[in-house]
Parts: sequence; C-alpha cells; structure tokens
Amino acid sequence: MSHCSLLCQFFISEISAGIRLQCTVCHGTARMGNKQTIFTSQQLDAYQDCTYFTRKEILRLFHRYRDLAPQLVPLDYTNEPDVRLPYELIGSMPELKDNPFRQRIAEVFSEDGQGNMTLDDFLDMFSVMSEMAPRDLKAYYAFKIYDFNNDDFICKSDLEKTLNKLTRNELTEDEVRMVCEKVIDEADLDNDGRLSLEDFQHMILRAPDFLSTFHIRI
Amino acid sequence: MRRMSVYPQHGTALENLGLTAHEIQQEVENNTSELVSDLSDLSAGARFQAIRSLPMSYNERKAIRNRVNNIKLSKTILPTDCRQQVSLSFRRFRASLTSARQRLVVWQDTLKEIGGRFGTSVLSYFLFLKWLLKFNVFSFVINFCFITIPQIVHAPNISHVTGFRGLELLTGVGYFNQTVLFYGGYDGEVIVSKPAYNMQLAYFFTIAAYMVLCGLSLIYSMSRSFQKNFVLETGPVSGGAWRLLCSWDFSVVNEKAIQYNKNNLGIQLKESLSERLQMKNKISLSDRIKHLSLNLVAWLLCLLLALGSGAGIYFLGTEQLTFSFNQDPNDLVSEASTLLLPVVVSLINLIVPLLYSLIGKMETYSNPRAKIYISIARNIILKMSLLGILCFYWLNFVPDKIPCWESFVGQSVYRLLIIDFIFCLLGIFFGEFLRNVIGTMCIQSLGVPEFDIARNVLDLIYAQTLAWIGIYFSPLLPVMQVLKLFIIFYLKKLSLSMNCQPPKHTGRAAQIQTVFIALLFFPSFVGALSMVAFTVWSLQPSDQCGPFQGLKTPFHTIFNWTDSIQGPPETHWVWWIFENVLRSELFYYLISLIVLVITFFLWQITQGRKQLIKSLREQIVNGGKDKAFLLNKLQNIQRQRREIASYSPQPIRRSMRGSVRTVAQEFDQTTYYNPNWINTLPMDM
Repeated sequence: MSHCSLLCQFFISEISAGIRLQCTVCHGTARMGNKQTIFTSQQLDAYQDCTYFTRKEILRLFHRYRDLAPQLVPLDYTNEPDVRLPYELIGSMPELKDNPFRQRIAEVFSEDGQGNMTLDDFLDMFSVMSEMAPRDLKAYYAFKIYDFNNDDFICKSDLEKTLNKLTRNELTEDEVRMVCEKVIDEADLDNDGRLSLEDFQHMILRAPDFLSTFHIRI
Repeated sequence: MRRMSVYPQHGTALENLGLTAHEIQQEVENNTSELVSDLSDLSAGARFQAIRSLPMSYNERKAIRNRVNNIKLSKTILPTDCRQQVSLSFRRFRASLTSARQRLVVWQDTLKEIGGRFGTSVLSYFLFLKWLLKFNVFSFVINFCFITIPQIVHAPNISHVTGFRGLELLTGVGYFNQTVLFYGGYDGEVIVSKPAYNMQLAYFFTIAAYMVLCGLSLIYSMSRSFQKNFVLETGPVSGGAWRLLCSWDFSVVNEKAIQYNKNNLGIQLKESLSERLQMKNKISLSDRIKHLSLNLVAWLLCLLLALGSGAGIYFLGTEQLTFSFNQDPNDLVSEASTLLLPVVVSLINLIVPLLYSLIGKMETYSNPRAKIYISIARNIILKMSLLGILCFYWLNFVPDKIPCWESFVGQSVYRLLIIDFIFCLLGIFFGEFLRNVIGTMCIQSLGVPEFDIARNVLDLIYAQTLAWIGIYFSPLLPVMQVLKLFIIFYLKKLSLSMNCQPPKHTGRAAQIQTVFIALLFFPSFVGALSMVAFTVWSLQPSDQCGPFQGLKTPFHTIFNWTDSIQGPPETHWVWWIFENVLRSELFYYLISLIVLVITFFLWQITQGRKQLIKSLREQIVNGGKDKAFLLNKLQNIQRQRREIASYSPQPIRRSMRGSVRTVAQEFDQTTYYNPNWINTLPMDM
C-alpha cells in the first residue's frame, strides 16, 4: 500500500476524498483522503495538544495547505516529509492576499524566517491567529510582526514602516514623524525611546478590541 | 528568525557580556527544565492550556510537551500503557465534545463572511442579534413544554367567535382570541394525572424561572464584558497610539473593505493629530458657556419631544379604549382601527430619532465618544418613556374596563411587535435601499449610507423589551420574536452588502458593546420585570378567563399551595422555610446588610490594587533609568578595557576589579537600585 500512496498521486491528482480508486500500476485500491493515511494518531494527538485546533480542523487545514500546491505536498505525512511551501503560495491564500502584513506574518511564523512554511508552521500560524488563542500569546506575536528589524524592540523606523503599510501614502513626512513620536510618547514606559514587549503588552490592555481584531478566520 | 523564549534577549546588555556558546546552551537547558517541571506540576487541563500558549515554534513546543508527558508517566504507579490509554482517551473525549459543540453553533459561516467583509464592529451587531435569539428560543422551548402542551392535551372549550380571516395575523384578535397564543386560552385547573399537574403553579413558576434565569445571564454577561473592556483607563486616554498598533482588523479579507479601512485609519490619525494641536489651544470661557448652553437647549428640546410623544400616545390610547370597548367582533373596520396605536408608536420611533440627530448636529462636543453616548442616551429615554406610558395605561385603565384584560394586553403587545417588524422592513427598503440609490445616482454628495450600528441595536433592544413584557400575557410570543430575528438577520446582511458601507468611526467598539448589554439589562429587562412583577403581585386577574381566575392576585397561588403542603409532615419544612424565612422582612435586611459589607470590602481591595499598580508603574520607570545608567557604565568600562587591552592581561584583572568596586561604591548612594546588581556583571572582567 505504501507504493500506492506515493505513486497513485501521480495518476490521480484532483479527485475528492472518499472515492475508491484503482491504481493502474499495481492494481490495488487506495482510498484517498482517509484520515488514517495522512497522520498517525500520535501526530494528531500532538497537533491537538500543541495547537488550538480540533481533529477535524487540523485535517481541514491540512487540505487547505495541500490545495496550495497539490504536487508538492504528499497525502501521507506519517513519515514526516520535509515539505516547505514557498512564500508566494502562502501569500496568495484568500485570507492573506490583501493583508498588508502578510509578508511579516509569514516571516515570523516560518522556521527559516523567509516566509517558506512547513505544515507545522502553517498550523501554528493559524492557531495563534484563531479566536481561541489568549491575549498574551497574540500580543507576543503581534509584537514580533511589527518588529521589522527583528531586534526585539519596536523602534521609530519599525513604526514608520507599519504606518506606511497601513495608510496609503496619505500622511505627509511630517505627519508620519509626529504620529510615530506620539506613539512612543504614550506607550514607552521605561523611557528608552523604543517599545519593548512589556510596553506593548501594557498598551494592549487599553485596547480591548485587540483580541477580536488580531484574528484571521479560516 | 524564530527565537525561543528561553534564549537570552538580544539587543540587551547580555549580548555584550560575551558568554560562550556552551554557557548559552547551559542557560537554555536550565530554563527548559525549569519550564518542564513547572508545567508538570499543573493539573491536566491547565497544563495543556499552558503548553498551547507557549510562545515558541511548533517543534519546540512538541519537544516540551513530550518531556512533560514522559515525566508524568514516570511518576505514576499504574502500568504506563494503561495510564497512557486512559489519559489519551479522556483528552480525545474532551476534544470531541468541543468539536460537537462547535457544530451546534448556528450561522457560523455567515458570521465569518460578514466579519471578513465588514469588520468586527458591524459583526458585533449580528452577534448581539444571535445572542437575543438564544433568549427567545429558550423562552419558547420552556413555555411550550411546560405550559402549552399540557393545555393543548387537556383543552378547555375554545369558542371561536369568528372564522379565520387574514387580519388576525396583524391584530391578534378574532380567531386567535381564545387560543393558547394568549393568556385567555389557558385554564387554571389541576390536571388529574399520575402526579397531579397544577396549571396555575406551572404557569407562575415557568414565567418566574425564565425571568430569573434571564436576569442572571444578563448580569453575568454584563459583568464579564465590563471586566474585559473597561479595564484600567489610566494613562493617556485619547491615544492615536493604540489605533496604529492595536486596531488594524486582520480578519477583513475583502480588498475593497481593506482599502476602506486604510483610508479610515489615515483620516483618524490625521484627526487625532489635529486634536492634539487643538488641545494645546485653550478654549475661551465665552466659547465654553456657548457650547454648554447649546447642549442644554438641545437636551431640553429632546426631552420635550419625548414628553410630547408620550402624552400623544397616552391620549390616543385612552381614546381608543373608550372607542373599542363596545364593538362587534365581526366588525373589520373597528378591528383594523386597533392598529392605529402601534402604527403611531412606530412612526414616532422612526421620526423622532432623525430629529434628534438633526438637533445633535448643532452641538459641538470635545470628545467624539461623548457624542455617541449622548445620542444613545436620548434615544433610550425616548423609547423607554413610550413603553412606560403604554405599560402605565395598560396596568391602570385596562383591567377595569375590559373583561379578559390580560389577553387584551397580550394582543396589544403582539400588534406592536408585528407593526414594528413591518416598519423595520420598510426602513430597510426606504432608509437603506432608496437612500443608496439617491446617494449614488441623484445627489452624489450624499454618498453611500453608513450602517448605523447604534440605531439598529437600540431597535433590537426595544423589540426585546416588548417581548419580555409580553411573555406573561402571551406565552407563545417568543415564536414571533424568533421568526422576526431570523428574517431581520438575513435581510440586514443582504442590505449591508448591497446598500451600505461600514461605519467610519469604529473606535472602542468593545466598550460600546458593554454599554449595549448594560442597556439591555437596565432599563429594558428591569422595566419588563417590574411590570410583570407588579401585575403578579398586586393586580386582580380577570374573572372569566386565564389560569388565575377567582384569585385575589396571581401570587395567591403560592399561598394556596403552601397552605396545602403545611399539613403533611414530609413537606412541612418547605412551608416552614417559606413562612418564616422568605416572608419575613428580617431575612432581607440581613441579606442586604451582608451584601453591602462585602461590596465595601471589595471596593477597598480595588482601591488598594490601584495604589499597587501606580507604585509598580513607578518601579518600571525607575528600572528603565537603572538600565540606561548601567548600560552607560558598562560601555565605559568596556571602552577602558579595550584601551588597555594591548598591555599585559594580569594587572588588568586587578585594576578592573578595583574600578568595578568603585562603581559599586558610587551605586551605594542611590536609593532605588538593586543591591545584588553586581552579580549580574560577568565574572571574566
């Protein structure tokens, strides 16, 4: 059957789950999309314990991941293949394609820091951005997303880049500078001219909408 | 690059300490084993929540989870297989419960679509609607099961005076008159079955239980929402800061909506900048007096309008009452004339808020949030005064004049709800569809109408108040409310996608949400509850119809019941509790006193915590100053070290130690440093 699970994908590409098919090479039958051939039960348990998703959602997300590049992603993850989807495919998902921060999100959650995501990174990303993740976890990742130069502080240049991504060049240079100064004035508690994670978390406390806005539905 | 949280933070002084790779690894290993032992001490549920919320990459989290599981397994007495299987199956069961619960959620996909296209503030309106739907479905289910089904099974003689004509759906009289839809269709007899089923008690207790559960649920939601959203408003309140970093809505996926949000954000930031400049200019005294007097005039006008509408409804009601008292049940015209009052009420509800917004345009407020709250307050005063006048007239004049007066009140509420629904449909058509057409084709300057969340939510609250008032008089009224909410949900969604645009000022949506829940509790629910309580406690029920015929007040069923259980010794204790505890005033005084003392105590704790927060904040500021000072010192010392690095290393160590000691002496003079700071400097200096 292991032969089937690899080669049959070559012959049957876009067929939906649950249909019994005949492999023309080995004449055996393979049932596509049956969850028992995608993950072992230990893998599923690990996913359930370490993310906020249920079994059903994990499988649904796996199929979303696979739909981005069916020829790259195998249907059998039991032997943990090292498959990494390039950033262009991730950034083309409907949930992300118009988001101004999609590149930063992909970079923060990917292992290599370039936006190329494995299935684990993919699940982790949507788990943190789901509505079940707690405020502190979201604040941590939001901080990392806005920290463009990855120095663990949000400095003025990071704020300027954020502002430029969020407003369509509507503010003048002066206004951009004034807004960034105002942000640092209000939020910087320890007066070092830049925002640390604690400053950011304190600012989140004053924005009760944050939990519902820092949320991507999938 | 992904970083583990157990790594020392880069960009701080520790990076300059020059720790070797081995030492870094040591520290990481120590932190990890500390984390693992902390996690294994927690209970199962808390442990998995804690693992899920670790800010690390998935593989690292999985490694920690495996280590924790191994520790837990090694600590158990049972054979590892059995224990593992048991805990595994238990976790899988809990996971399947949550997924089953998710499947029961109605409208899941539709809400996702709305949130994706219009943002979270518009979504809050639809979530509010869904929440109200739950109340009504629950009410319908318990009323139907406990009151209606026994009544239908042992049906009394219902005499239909007229056949079914179409007008009943609007007016509620005629064919519907003596059915189980209204109070008059119920009978107070004791149904003779294996355990005897007392219809009077059933009616009373069902309504009472529903009201109590509703009240508890509202109080719970209100306090949860208040705690989440009105937290700690210290520090600069009017901030552009949080708008930049906390308010971008990641859940919006529609391209047009995203551009729209970007425009809005730009406009809001510009406004906040200009506000900041304006705040620097002091407003002169004469300007302030002018603003204040304008505000007072506006309030006076609004209150006069509300009073005027109330008086108009009152006179119309009394006139109609005298008119409709002697009427032939087959007379269609007089039946249709009963619709006049609801139509006038709905017209007032439609026109006067528009007048209020016109009046509001002439005022100026320093704070845009104040404007929203004041407009909400005025609209609520209008709606509640209308309802108050109606209740007053129903409870004071109707019981004397009309034979089966509870059914009459039930029918009036039914008519009000139906006409309100029809006006809502008309409002969607004229207010949104035609306005969109006018705004885009004829008068271009008006533009596409905005979806006014406050007005729509207040309409929902008004309808729900009517439904709560009507439950006692018409037990199956929630059915109508459920159907109405269903239809309004889909129509509003359609209208939103075709006609409107999301509102521009979306700031502080969560706090306005709390205000709406609070308004739903008071005055809406409390008003309805007090009206029903007054009816049950003091009014005499009608003699000819209904379950409480012949009693002095409906509450006397309880007295009769407690008298009946006084005799038999098994139930004597229930009577004793009722007679000596619930009916004595001393009990309530004691309870109030205890609650007051506890409230005072908790308030003192809150005050103490505020002090604590203030001093902690000062400590953070001082810590920042410490850090800057120490970094400076560190850099100076390192510079000195580099300068004399070309000489022999031996004397350096001694002289370095000396200079380190003088630094320590300098530090002795400051009052806020950590005496153990010297241990944080590296040893190989």
